[in-house]
Amino acid sequence: MTTGAFPLSHRRRLPFPVTTERVLLGVGALFVIVITLGLILTRGRFEPGDLLSPAVWLGCALTGHLLLERRLPNRDPLLFPIAMFLSGWGLVVVDRLAPPFADRQTLWLVVSVGGMLAAALTPHSLRWLRSYRYTLLVIGLGLLVSTILLGRNPSGQEGAPELWLGIGSLYFQPSEALKIILVAFLASYLGEQYPALRAEGLDGLQRRWAISPRILGPVLLMWGLSVVILIWQRDLGTAILFFVVFLVLLYIASGYTPILLGGAILIVLAGIVAYSLFDVVQLRVDIWLNPWNEGEGRAYQIVQSLLAFAAGGPFGQGIGQGAPEFIPVVHSDFVFAAVAEEWGLVGVFSVIGLVAVVVMRGMRIGISQRGRPFHTLLAVGLSTVIGVQSLLIMGGVLKLVPLTGVTLPFLSYGGSSLLTNFIIVGLLLRLSAPEGT
Amino acid sequence: MTTEITLFVLRLLAGAILLLMLLALFVVMWRDYHSSAREAEASRRTYGRIIVMHELDGSYARTGESHPLLPTTSFGRAPTNTIRVEDTFASSEHAVVVMRNGQWWLEDRASRNGTTLNGVSVNQPVVVTDGDVIGIGHLRYRLEMEAS
Repeated sequence: MTTGAFPLSHRRRLPFPVTTERVLLGVGALFVIVITLGLILTRGRFEPGDLLSPAVWLGCALTGHLLLERRLPNRDPLLFPIAMFLSGWGLVVVDRLAPPFADRQTLWLVVSVGGMLAAALTPHSLRWLRSYRYTLLVIGLGLLVSTILLGRNPSGQEGAPELWLGIGSLYFQPSEALKIILVAFLASYLGEQYPALRAEGLDGLQRRWAISPRILGPVLLMWGLSVVILIWQRDLGTAILFFVVFLVLLYIASGYTPILLGGAILIVLAGIVAYSLFDVVQLRVDIWLNPWNEGEGRAYQIVQSLLAFAAGGPFGQGIGQGAPEFIPVVHSDFVFAAVAEEWGLVGVFSVIGLVAVVVMRGMRIGISQRGRPFHTLLAVGLSTVIGVQSLLIMGGVLKLVPLTGVTLPFLSYGGSSLLTNFIIVGLLLRLSAPEGT
Repeated sequence: MTTEITLFVLRLLAGAILLLMLLALFVVMWRDYHSSAREAEASRRTYGRIIVMHELDGSYARTGESHPLLPTTSFGRAPTNTIRVEDTFASSEHAVVVMRNGQWWLEDRASRNGTTLNGVSVNQPVVVTDGDVIGIGHLRYRLEMEAS
């Protein structure tokens, strides 16, 4: 990976080199400052506390950048600035939409950047992920089972999905951690089976035998277990995400196209079965097909989201000047609609573009790991998690696909989601640097 | 009134910064792809080609097969060779063409039936140049080198 410098560095007057990462972090800092000023102005009153989260953000960006520069000088220069850009934006959006949550989100940002640095800089972290896969899996499934037994919902509403584990007033969503654990497990397992899956001279029928239950049994078993538990939990977005990641990794490991086709058919079949079995799926599909009959009832959230997109127009209403608070729980799942209303099409394109760049760089990091199947699969799997999750929620908010309750990476309110995505970025940074293996 | 103007300016600024960020990312990735394309091209660079020919009524005809000439090109029946020789007279590790000190050398790797260079049998390493024909069993390999 090249750490390309901007032509600015030809000017010798600056005492430090101007690298890509510094320029991009600078643009991010400028953006956070501008929108924070806008927010303070629209509120019409100034409190010193308003400056706390931008200050913490700046501190995180600086610390992260300096530590990474020291330990991983040849890392990918785009991932960290994009993660900071989106999370800084998310911090201000949370402050604007749900001020009581802003401090907690700021705290989570510090924890997340720490997690990212730990993932990127701990020696042998990749080897641990690889060797202790069954231990990790047991921990992950244990967390999930304990969520079923002890799960709560921080909002305390009756009937809301109980996906959180709480210690005091801190809540954590175990299915978020399971994303990384699952990808690491699959990458490690399929990486080991890689020679068998890719054995030369195997084609057609022979290859189908190679991909036999004997080889894939444990993987299917594990996948089935997580999906069953997730459907039990009614966390459909995560279940779809797990299945798609599983398919993509199996396809990358085997290079066998019918896997994708069969997987697509399985998803449709599972959708039809889920539609007839679960009320929540039926509701989501019904309001996706036609929300307008029930715009005041069950489809209120999605209709308000579409109106927010319409109100945003090409350039947006400006921060604090739209009315995204009409959308229920706008700060977590529907943060994309709030961005659309206050920053317009420009903001929407920026979010899509930034997430797309993260996914592209992740895939590229995967391609560059020649001859190391575990590393390739890990990079591809982690970027698929971010990409599919973003597509699911952005499509859901726009009524392109049925709504599934997942968070928009980096932007949504939610500590465990932020932490997970930052750890993913940390692992990708680690994989991108030739010195970290 | 001034608040409204300031807010408007801030709104414009925010939009401009977003576009700037996208532009900067585009520039970085554009350059990156160009430099990696150059790198890939450089690593794909070959030194020439080896044209495979076989005996047909006393003369030699091209089989249509050709291989890139690499700094170390090995011939033999074993699948581990750069060029796999499908001939019953070939040994599993038959001969090798290597670049050494700016010159190309042909070496016989103690094969059972020997290697020829332009019809003369090879007993010790010899220098080969453009247009030379290496013979292994019934097959002939013509070297076509690129001027470097």
